[in-house]
Amino acid sequence: MKPVRSAATRRRPHLRIGIILVGLLLGFGGISVRLVLIQGLGGDEYTSFGTSQRMQTIVLPGARGSIFDRNGNDLAVSLPQRTIWANPTLIDRPVEVAAALAGPLGFDPAATAVLAGRLDGRSSGTQFAYVARRVDESVADAVAELKLPGIGFLEESKRFTPAGVLAHSVLGSVDVDNLGQSGLEMQYDKALSGTEGELVIETDIRRRALPGGEYELKAAQRGNDLVLTIDRSMQYETERALRAQIEAKGAQGGMVVVSRPATGEILALANFQRDAESGELVATGNNMAVTTVYEPGSVNKVITVAAALEEGLLTPETLIKVPDSLQVSDHRFSDHDNHPTEDYSVDRILTESSNVGTIKIAQMLGPDRVDSYLRRFGFGKATDLGFPHEAAGILLDRADYSGTSIGAIPIGQGIAVTAMQMLEAYNVLANGGLYVPPRLILATVDSAGQRHSTPSGKPRRVVSATTASQMRAMLVNVVAEGTGKRGGITGYDVAGKTGTARKPLPQGGYQDGAGNYHYVANFVGFLPAEDPELSIIVVIDEPVGDIFGGTVAAPVFADLAQYGMRLLRIPPPRVTTGGTLAGAADGSAREIVAVVEQERVRATAATSTAIAVGG
Amino acid sequence: MAAPTNFSSRNQVAPGAAGRLSRNPSAPWRHIDLLLLGCVLAVCVLGCLMVFSSTRGSDPTAFDTTLVAKQALFMGIGIVLMAMVALVDYRRYREWAPAAYGVVLLLLVMVVSGLGSESKGSQAWFQLGPFQLQPSEPAKIVVIVMLASLLEQFNQELNVQRLIMVLAVPGLPMALIMLQPDLGTALVFVAITMGMLLIGGVQGRHIAALTLLGIVGVGIVLNSGMLQEYQKCRFTSFLETESRVCIERDASYNQDQAKVAIGSGGWLGAGLGQGTQTRLGIVPEQHTDFIFTAVGEELGFVGSGTLLTLLGLMAWRIWRAAQLARDPLGTLICVGVLSLFVFQVFENVGMTMGIMPVTGIPLPFMSYGGSSTLTAFVAMGLVMNVHMRRFT
Repeated sequence: MKPVRSAATRRRPHLRIGIILVGLLLGFGGISVRLVLIQGLGGDEYTSFGTSQRMQTIVLPGARGSIFDRNGNDLAVSLPQRTIWANPTLIDRPVEVAAALAGPLGFDPAATAVLAGRLDGRSSGTQFAYVARRVDESVADAVAELKLPGIGFLEESKRFTPAGVLAHSVLGSVDVDNLGQSGLEMQYDKALSGTEGELVIETDIRRRALPGGEYELKAAQRGNDLVLTIDRSMQYETERALRAQIEAKGAQGGMVVVSRPATGEILALANFQRDAESGELVATGNNMAVTTVYEPGSVNKVITVAAALEEGLLTPETLIKVPDSLQVSDHRFSDHDNHPTEDYSVDRILTESSNVGTIKIAQMLGPDRVDSYLRRFGFGKATDLGFPHEAAGILLDRADYSGTSIGAIPIGQGIAVTAMQMLEAYNVLANGGLYVPPRLILATVDSAGQRHSTPSGKPRRVVSATTASQMRAMLVNVVAEGTGKRGGITGYDVAGKTGTARKPLPQGGYQDGAGNYHYVANFVGFLPAEDPELSIIVVIDEPVGDIFGGTVAAPVFADLAQYGMRLLRIPPPRVTTGGTLAGAADGSAREIVAVVEQERVRATAATSTAIAVGG
Repeated sequence: MAAPTNFSSRNQVAPGAAGRLSRNPSAPWRHIDLLLLGCVLAVCVLGCLMVFSSTRGSDPTAFDTTLVAKQALFMGIGIVLMAMVALVDYRRYREWAPAAYGVVLLLLVMVVSGLGSESKGSQAWFQLGPFQLQPSEPAKIVVIVMLASLLEQFNQELNVQRLIMVLAVPGLPMALIMLQPDLGTALVFVAITMGMLLIGGVQGRHIAALTLLGIVGVGIVLNSGMLQEYQKCRFTSFLETESRVCIERDASYNQDQAKVAIGSGGWLGAGLGQGTQTRLGIVPEQHTDFIFTAVGEELGFVGSGTLLTLLGLMAWRIWRAAQLARDPLGTLICVGVLSLFVFQVFENVGMTMGIMPVTGIPLPFMSYGGSSTLTAFVAMGLVMNVHMRRFT
């Protein structure tokens, strides 16, 4: 073919081929720059992203710390057990594998079908499914024998309480993942829980584990141990005695707190409640002594009396004219027994638990000071225990007082406290007027085995030592010759106070449909009165027939006080009058206790009275 | 002088037939481009290694060698084919080209008419026993030779009429390939045509007009119903201005994972067979279109830089062959192959690094695939052919 144009108009191929070379250089240059940017300068970023989408991490819980009583006895321990897990993406035939597992695990067909569903990796795409958690060794061994692909084992700890339900309401419980759900297990969950470990599995893009892939195990760390102030023996005896009395009195429940007044340490804390459906008496998981409130009744009178002594309004011997009943605003308060209008000493008002006398003292103080002292004794706010769901109690604001408040509150009505708060108020009197915050934790032990003592709370003064001492003497009389006689034990002066309160009903008011009242019987006290080592509060909920604190709650107190003296090896104090015990006081505590228990039942009651009156 | 007539001396061997041939300084076999050949073989070896690395599976006790064995077989056949293509003087291909062009068109018609196999949304293959034939691959070679012969005849004189004739040559197969649909391969034809027109004497204003037309054409294709939604998304994902539909379909997934793989290689790479992204099959199509990511991750910048250097050297040698060619036909053939080769390299490597749209274009001598590998060898055979015959 001939050219259609002259040669002059021809393109210049050599120039154009040069343009192509320039294009080549630019192209390769651009790609190289991009390569340097991605590989050289962005490498780390891309690597970590790549790793993150490949690695799947399974969290392993750390072993939970143990809970010990004050003497190192196990209350709650975690024992390692094997958990069977599966990697569903490695299981080709989930139904067959589930059927094979069902044998050793003892699954019924329904459970097996559920398991087969969980093992089906194609539908879920997950790489981790529990087969059975915390199985017995024999079961785990049987499953291991099967040598099934995609089935693995993990060590998981399981919570055991070697003493059964002992101190259940204090210890609380953990869930299947070992997380504290109530009680100290919940309050100290962070300390008890170990540090989590990790199991890292390398997967491909469809989240399937690789048969030869990396399995990286970062072991979990054990949590801290707790050493409680609880004494296992005291706790056991407390639960036994409380349960027996609730059963004997046909009551709905009850609670007891046993403490060392000087340190605030709780030695025992028991709660029982009748199951609403079965009527069975159970050791409830609810630590009612701390979490629920009740109207204390007469035990509250000590606050008013102590306040009046502290304010210098009267002395134990001051005489007050006490009529049979007293109109306060729109309510007429009366004493439980009819009596003519008489001059009562303050001591007698307390010993006979006179409502009218107490109200007259309260009226001398006036509502401001009554309110102020109630708060100084620790009512109306939660204690320093920090226990989960701890109640603050119900205490009227001073501004909300009605006309009858000055009558009701001093005698323990229209006020609600926790058993713990009430015991602490008595501990103030036992401690020479100092409030010492209660405590349940003696020490923690870290994973390295190092023991760290928990400091006790800062004491604060509520009343003077003199006032406390005068109160102690009057409370000894309550037990020696007043309403609290059944709370006394031989060989020791017991200071205590009874209380019997009508129980406000859930629907409001105090009388049920049949016109009956329901009662709460309680007794608070401490001993030995001169130098208190042990304080106990006993609250019995809705006893039937016999309803009085002095007859229902006080005997339990006496039981536990006697046991506590022996347990703590506290000898009866040197007796200054009566002589018969003087010789024995030189001997060992054990001998003295034996002597007291076996021989000196009657003599000491008179002796104690003599000391108390003198003090 | 009498002495020269004395034939008894051993130093004065008569120029016999054999002696003349062996000493012919312009003999084609003396001018084989050994550097180009060396680069091709080196890239082939690397390609086989990377195909193995990305297809052997994750079970270290039983590596899967099926695909790498097939790829090695393709390369063996390819080398033989390259030698055969180089042996016959390229000028003779001019006569064969129209017939080959007809056959290729027929195959393309057959493949879209329902005889072909469909895979991943496009109908581009014939299934022949264990192998697949992709007619669009040989079509690239045939179009290069056809265009070269036509442009040589027009001898740098291209008016509109002739231009239309020239454009019809790649136009027909391109139209059939768009029916498959395979946008990437169609674009390869655009690259070949533009490169060859530039050297073949197209006028500047025509080039400008064609470029404009090309851009409008791509726009029309993207907005017509010709492509599947996912193909459009993949194609535009590198622009990072994705529509909601594309984001839902995770259209940039391939490219993101490709970048992660290349990036994780760093300067030195994870080591051959050690690339976790590669081993775990995280990058889709890694042994075919995304093979560069395996190089990037396992051999790092050192490896991928070396590969780019080898490919760059090859491009330079092809360009040099085009310049040194004895006649315009040789130049045009080499420029056609250069356009084909360079476009595929830029597009393929560029898409793995997120600077080019994602299209199904293999990396020559690296990607797994029979048709594409054989085509690459045939193309190199043509360049060798032109180069070794530059003095004959």
